[in-house]
Amino acid sequence: MEYLQLGRISLIISFLLIIIGFWGILSQKNIIKIIVSFTILDTGINVLIVSLGYLKGRTAPIIDASVSQGPNHNVLNAIVDPVPQALVLTAIVIGFGVTALLLAYAMKLFKAKRTLEINQFNDLKW
Amino acid sequence: MVSPIYIVAAALGVGFAIGVLGKLGKNFSGILALLTIGFMTFVSSEWLYAFYVGNQVPTYIFTAGFKPPISINLLMGPKEAFLTTMVNFIGLLGGIYLFFNFGRKGRNAYVVYMVFLMSLNVVIMTRDIFNLFVFLEISAIATAGLILIERGNRAVGAGFKYIIATSIISSILLIGIIFAYFYTGTLNIDGLVQAHLSTTATGGIAVFLIMIAAVLEMKPFPANGWGLDVYEGSHQGFSAVVSVATATASYYVLYKLLAIAGPVGSQWDYYLALMGAVTFIGSNLLGVKQKFARRLLAYSSIGQLGLLMLILGLRKYLGDNLDYVVLGILITNLFAKTGFFWLAGIVKAKTLKEWAIIRRKPFFLFLMGTFVFALIGFPPFPSFFAKWTMVMNLARQGGFGWIAVILIGSFLEAIYLFRWFGYAVKGEDTYKYDFNIRWHKITPIVILVAALYYAGYLTSQYTELGRMIDFIPLFFVLVLFAIDFLPVAVKNTIAILGMGTYFYFIYPDLDNLRLIFEVIFMVGGILTLIAGYAYKGKRSGFYPVAILMYAGLTGIIQAHTTLEFFFGWELMTAGSYFLIIRGKRSMPHALSYMLFSVAGAYAILAGFGIANIGQAFPSLDIMNNIQYFPNWAYGLLLIGFLTKTASVGLHIWLPGAHGEAESDVSPMVSAILLKAGVFGIVLALIGMSKSDFDLSALAYTLGWIGALTALFGNIGAVFQEDAKRLLAYSSIGQLGYIVFAFAIMTQLGWLTGFTYVINHFLYKAVLFLTVGAIVLRVGTHNMYEMGGLIKKMPWAFFAVLIGIIALSGVPPLSGFTGKWLFYNAIIEKGWYFQGVIAMFAGGIAFLYLYRLIQTIFLGQLKDNHRNVKEISIWFLIPIYTLLTGILVFSYEPQWVLKPLGNMIAQYFPNNGLHWEGSYAYSHLGYWTGAGVAATVSVVFVIAFILLKIMTRKAHKLEQFDIVFSGERPERPETTHIAYNMYAGFYKAVWPLTVPLVERFWTWMSDLVHETAGFVRRIYSGNGQAYMLHIILYIIILYFITIGGNI
Repeated sequence: MEYLQLGRISLIISFLLIIIGFWGILSQKNIIKIIVSFTILDTGINVLIVSLGYLKGRTAPIIDASVSQGPNHNVLNAIVDPVPQALVLTAIVIGFGVTALLLAYAMKLFKAKRTLEINQFNDLKW
Repeated sequence: MVSPIYIVAAALGVGFAIGVLGKLGKNFSGILALLTIGFMTFVSSEWLYAFYVGNQVPTYIFTAGFKPPISINLLMGPKEAFLTTMVNFIGLLGGIYLFFNFGRKGRNAYVVYMVFLMSLNVVIMTRDIFNLFVFLEISAIATAGLILIERGNRAVGAGFKYIIATSIISSILLIGIIFAYFYTGTLNIDGLVQAHLSTTATGGIAVFLIMIAAVLEMKPFPANGWGLDVYEGSHQGFSAVVSVATATASYYVLYKLLAIAGPVGSQWDYYLALMGAVTFIGSNLLGVKQKFARRLLAYSSIGQLGLLMLILGLRKYLGDNLDYVVLGILITNLFAKTGFFWLAGIVKAKTLKEWAIIRRKPFFLFLMGTFVFALIGFPPFPSFFAKWTMVMNLARQGGFGWIAVILIGSFLEAIYLFRWFGYAVKGEDTYKYDFNIRWHKITPIVILVAALYYAGYLTSQYTELGRMIDFIPLFFVLVLFAIDFLPVAVKNTIAILGMGTYFYFIYPDLDNLRLIFEVIFMVGGILTLIAGYAYKGKRSGFYPVAILMYAGLTGIIQAHTTLEFFFGWELMTAGSYFLIIRGKRSMPHALSYMLFSVAGAYAILAGFGIANIGQAFPSLDIMNNIQYFPNWAYGLLLIGFLTKTASVGLHIWLPGAHGEAESDVSPMVSAILLKAGVFGIVLALIGMSKSDFDLSALAYTLGWIGALTALFGNIGAVFQEDAKRLLAYSSIGQLGYIVFAFAIMTQLGWLTGFTYVINHFLYKAVLFLTVGAIVLRVGTHNMYEMGGLIKKMPWAFFAVLIGIIALSGVPPLSGFTGKWLFYNAIIEKGWYFQGVIAMFAGGIAFLYLYRLIQTIFLGQLKDNHRNVKEISIWFLIPIYTLLTGILVFSYEPQWVLKPLGNMIAQYFPNNGLHWEGSYAYSHLGYWTGAGVAATVSVVFVIAFILLKIMTRKAHKLEQFDIVFSGERPERPETTHIAYNMYAGFYKAVWPLTVPLVERFWTWMSDLVHETAGFVRRIYSGNGQAYMLHIILYIIILYFITIGGNI
């Protein structure tokens, strides 16, 4: 069971997601599928951030009842690293913005040529 | 001092306000946004000014009441102040340019634009790497939004490729950031620098991910298809801002993150330089094949990014000068590229050829010319000084390979930019559509052009060397630009007076060597300018560029430092290019002239760089004391100068350039301009004569080059039908003699060289002026279309007669002086084989010279020339002044040769001429100018009288004495003796006339074009392929950088 601790599992999953994301971006021809692959990649990165900040046996960095606040007890020893948690929130927001923009572009592209095949949008080349 | 945090606050505040208030009018919102950007510019420039004045220290700005690494901090130092000022300034001008384009998309476009600029400011200032990521993303999102202000499918496609590519890049960055944090526990850049991440294997991967993301933001070749598409596909107003403001920010990101990768000289420096070199050369190579203006600008922009990356990678070599070099390149790119994109947005011509329409409004041509010359790195623009400093430093540190990379890349850029500019100046303008002038679009461009010139001046004043440069002639050129609306006579007078006054003030300071050339340049220049009075109207643009050439010529004469020399050299090249391209069919010839000149100038630059190694101060005297790699240094310098003297192999530009030029321009670029190359050769050879190294092989090679040039130039001249091309080929031959004579490296050899220099100046100016004036009268260059003009133009006939006698080297005129000295020098030196070639070439000269006078002046007058008049008096004045010079030099050569001999004795003290009165003795024999002249004159007169007496009964041949058989030839000129006159001779020497050199250069050109055409197919236009390029680039770079080291 040593190998299946939470941090390691999430790390493996995050890399799997990242690789699946890249694979999708490079192999899918449909623009919507590419965008979905991109969000998978994004999710993978978010999981990676969280799992790198994970410390075994600690709780979320929210100071509430689950964190005992005794006088001799340093709060910092009870919670996981708060910085990655903060980063991941920001990253999620940015990912959301980018995804929205990508979808807006997908709409524009579809309106332009009535297709979502990425091969069809090569007016600019050489 | 306003805290830079207000840049962020103002942009966000106003942005939200516009959004929340909603009801504000579009224009009002727009003006509010512009004011905000103006405020941002004010804040950053206030800081810049404080740093410039020197009473300001770099300041950290903390946020959220905590210190890093808990909170985010910004840094405002001199670099940040400069870069944010530039970004905001360009942003402000861009806002004005795009005002109505934004307006069409609604008020939100203004908000997005403001946020876009704000994000770039933060990217530059932030010291927190995650914050950097966030604002890079914001700028990417804003960019993707603003791309859509251009209508049409192309912009949408480009925007999609852009956003998906940048998303992948920032994903990589984010992974790198989180690993960096994992290993160091900080997100602060300064903290990461101190953590020495790259010393551990795992930290190395974090560094790799961060660095590769920063590199990919710089659009490295070939993983940059998405970048090209954005520059091409989005509105040109916005492309400009992306191409320079975003690029500036990206450069600084790379600069900041490079500190994390390691100290100066670490491995990443090398990788950066490598990737920059590949990008710089790759982009510019593909640009050569490009036919569309927008995409060409995109290639050029990316090339510049590559150059910046290369420079950053070479920081080890540049040391303290890194900032100066980057500043020069960056500021030129900022102003010139922005202006160029905006110009493209106004002109709206798609292909390069269509840009011919731009000259309908000559002021636009001036703007374009400024941008082209600035981008190539001509003086007085900042890039010129940056390039010079860069090459000097690289040479000093032994980075010769990098010098080659930079110069080759720049040369490729010169190819396409000058071709484009050639289309604009001289291309066929057959297009129906026109372009409109809108003031809000022109004003920003004009501001940029003014800023460009001023920045150039400031850059020069920044260094001690730059301050030594004399800007007065250049200022005079600007004055002439300003008064270009005046009639030709007024401008001509002003130009002549200006040159005369300048010459009067500077000539006392010149030594004899320089005085000879200065007289040829300035007095010769004034004489040829006199011919300009023959022209009517305004002759737009002629005087500024002519004086630009003379400014350059006097610049190289007056130069004390290598920088001044190179400055003058480049001015002269630019001016002569403009003069040459004025000819009717000059476009391709001007291009080849320019390309040979640029390549030659780069050879000179590299030569100066090597000469500068180990020297304390780059004065021109270092050429006399080159300490390292002397063969390379002198060899490169000589190659550079030989491009100007059009020596064999490098000569193919000359016949067209001189032949197609205007009537009074041909003598300027032939009789005068070619001597600049000779002056350079003389300087190099003086250095070689003083060198402690054995450089005789170099001189020997030079001698052969000279002899072969004389032969091939003269053979080429024989088979020309075009009188001006004949003279042009003849110049190649004559310059061959000059190069040969100087290469002999003895006192007699040099005396020969100078005699030929003076002679060639005199008679080639006479011949080109006369033939040019005749061409103006008869309207053709072809000799078989002339004939019998002796009766119509006796003065011209006499001038040509004297000119060819002098040129052919027969007694009694000064050509014989040269020949006599020449054979003495050759025999004394023992270069018999080369000497025979030169002698053979001299014999061939008779053929073309005879043809010149026979076919133009003798024979039957053509019907359509019955009413032609004598050539213009304004041509006759300089012609006869020069003829007087020839006669004086022929009859009293000792007046010139004696002091000349004394001067040369400084360098070659032995075996000179020994003078007794007008008798000159060498150890082979003696000779007297006046005596020879008198003897020949007497013989001539006797023979003439005898002939007259013996041919009293001769019948004078009239035109209708000709009888022919009633057959009407298809091409009547073929029956004319003047046509293909030396067909018989051709049968004997045709193998020597095969244009092998032309074929070689054509082959080279095809090779470059075909390579470019093949490589650019990787840009298939498919966004997915571009992502694959990015991933492959990362993988390949991974193997190069980290490889098996884990």
